[in-house]
Amino acid sequence: MDRLHSLQSDFQSFLLEGDARIQQRVTGTEKASLQVRLAIYHDAYRLRLIEALDSNFPVLHAWMGDAEFENLSLAYIKEYPSTHFSIRYFGHHLAEYLATNATYRDRPFLSEMAQLEWALSQAFDAPDSAVMALDDVANIPPSAWPQMRFSLHASVQLLTLQWNVPPIWKAINQHLHTAEKQNSCRGDTSSTPSSVPSPSQGEGWGEEDINDVPAPTLSEYPQSWLIWRQDLKNYFRSLPVDEAWALAAARDHNFAELCEGLCEWIDAQNVAPHAAGFLKQWITDGLIRKIDWS
Amino acid sequence: MKHPPLPSPRHYLGFGLGLRPTHYETILNEAPALDWLEIISENYLVPGGKPLHYLDRIRQRYPMVMHGVSLSIGSSDALNREYLKDLKALAARIEPAWISDHLCWTGVNGVNAHDLLPLAYTQETLQHVVARVQQVQDFLGRRILLENVSSYISYPESEMTEWEFVREIAERADCLLLLDINNIYVSSFNHEFNACTYLNAIPVERVQQFHLAGHRNHGNYIIDTHDEPVIESVWDLYQIAVRRFGRVSTMIERDDNIPPLPELLSELEQARHIAQNILHPAVSAA
Repeated sequence: MDRLHSLQSDFQSFLLEGDARIQQRVTGTEKASLQVRLAIYHDAYRLRLIEALDSNFPVLHAWMGDAEFENLSLAYIKEYPSTHFSIRYFGHHLAEYLATNATYRDRPFLSEMAQLEWALSQAFDAPDSAVMALDDVANIPPSAWPQMRFSLHASVQLLTLQWNVPPIWKAINQHLHTAEKQNSCRGDTSSTPSSVPSPSQGEGWGEEDINDVPAPTLSEYPQSWLIWRQDLKNYFRSLPVDEAWALAAARDHNFAELCEGLCEWIDAQNVAPHAAGFLKQWITDGLIRKIDWS
Repeated sequence: MKHPPLPSPRHYLGFGLGLRPTHYETILNEAPALDWLEIISENYLVPGGKPLHYLDRIRQRYPMVMHGVSLSIGSSDALNREYLKDLKALAARIEPAWISDHLCWTGVNGVNAHDLLPLAYTQETLQHVVARVQQVQDFLGRRILLENVSSYISYPESEMTEWEFVREIAERADCLLLLDINNIYVSSFNHEFNACTYLNAIPVERVQQFHLAGHRNHGNYIIDTHDEPVIESVWDLYQIAVRRFGRVSTMIERDDNIPPLPELLSELEQARHIAQNILHPAVSAA
């Protein structure tokens, strides 16, 4: 298998790094030269991966504009060649790349936008499961409440963001969806919720282009955001600091422990109804898969 | 594992389309006259959510086949066991009439280039691919279909033609073939061979499915883009294929620039019409 392996390694080195060795091992014709033919593979490799990033990060793309998004994609493709069998997971490291790469790290807004879009894509196809209804909770005896332990729906994710990324995402996403409807169904073949064709050609949105897109602002304190899927639709909402703590803690603490922890923000005599209020909201939102109390 | 003899006549589903997310609602709401649907397996190798929700609902109404892009049957890397496990689980979920992938490689040294890259047609590759097809078939417990890919380069180290290679793979690995008529046309243009020579070399009983698709002609070469309607010359080649291979499940494969469903249905009608005229001329005339 030595020849097969070396041929494939040479071909791939050409795809990934432009290595010229493959030129000795392939041929063209008079009609189309070797260079022209190899360029088809070279370009297709990049285009397909850029498309994959676009389908997971459509708002980041719209925000940056075609040219800058393409530069980002090309740099990322070089840094993180795909190793998963599915192209769906190719964008896995993009937020991290934006946060650490010298070209982008002084604009942390971009990395936060990528974090949000990746979390949305994860929520989109997270495992299905039935969730609890308020009636189910009514059947739990009050004496068992302190021992309640919670299993969250697999789509539930918590992000801590410094920038007002979610409202900006929402405004731009709306514009993209409007453009998509105007374009009928041509161009949209991908299966993610945020996968809509970008209407921006060349230029990014910029804050002044779209009146209802909020300007990026850095908040004084980090803000927690909850991302989840309910009935096939993705949602996000901001969480007050006590609810964010409680929801994160709910993965491995019982209700009594949640109440105890919430005493940092709430008077002891009010903490149980306060925590019960969170629980009611979580159930209404479809975040709770199961409650065990024995 | 030894598979039962090839059934005669072959398993036939009729005329189908590739299932694309943009058509989910139309398919469910309007129940278009389609005999079957082909899914891109990888689109549904996800834990849950919308893709599987729609897949299950549409599967209740239409026969399906699975078409993968990640098997990388010709790669010198080891077969991806995780992928095969997921593929088998998806097959258990939707019970496809068959499972196909491409006669190509998609990456090496742990990298996935997500492209259908051409193989050198050598004895070494042949032995390697045959052994792997057998492993895959044993694992899945069924014969798979391999599809011919379009290519833009050739390797001087090849020891046989593409059609000889395809035929040898099918016979020796005891697998089936998905002939992409457009890909044969594209490669015959790019490599200057006669597409009929190709078709005539393919064993009739091994062909289980046809793909028809569009491409972009750049004058000196053609790129297999699957984003345009099928062109006249490919319809002509389809006629020749139907004459040789008989009644074979046929579908239009559109991957980009996806038009509204009725447009694809009318293209599919053209395929149905061509096949009918050749296979049942009397019925068509009446």
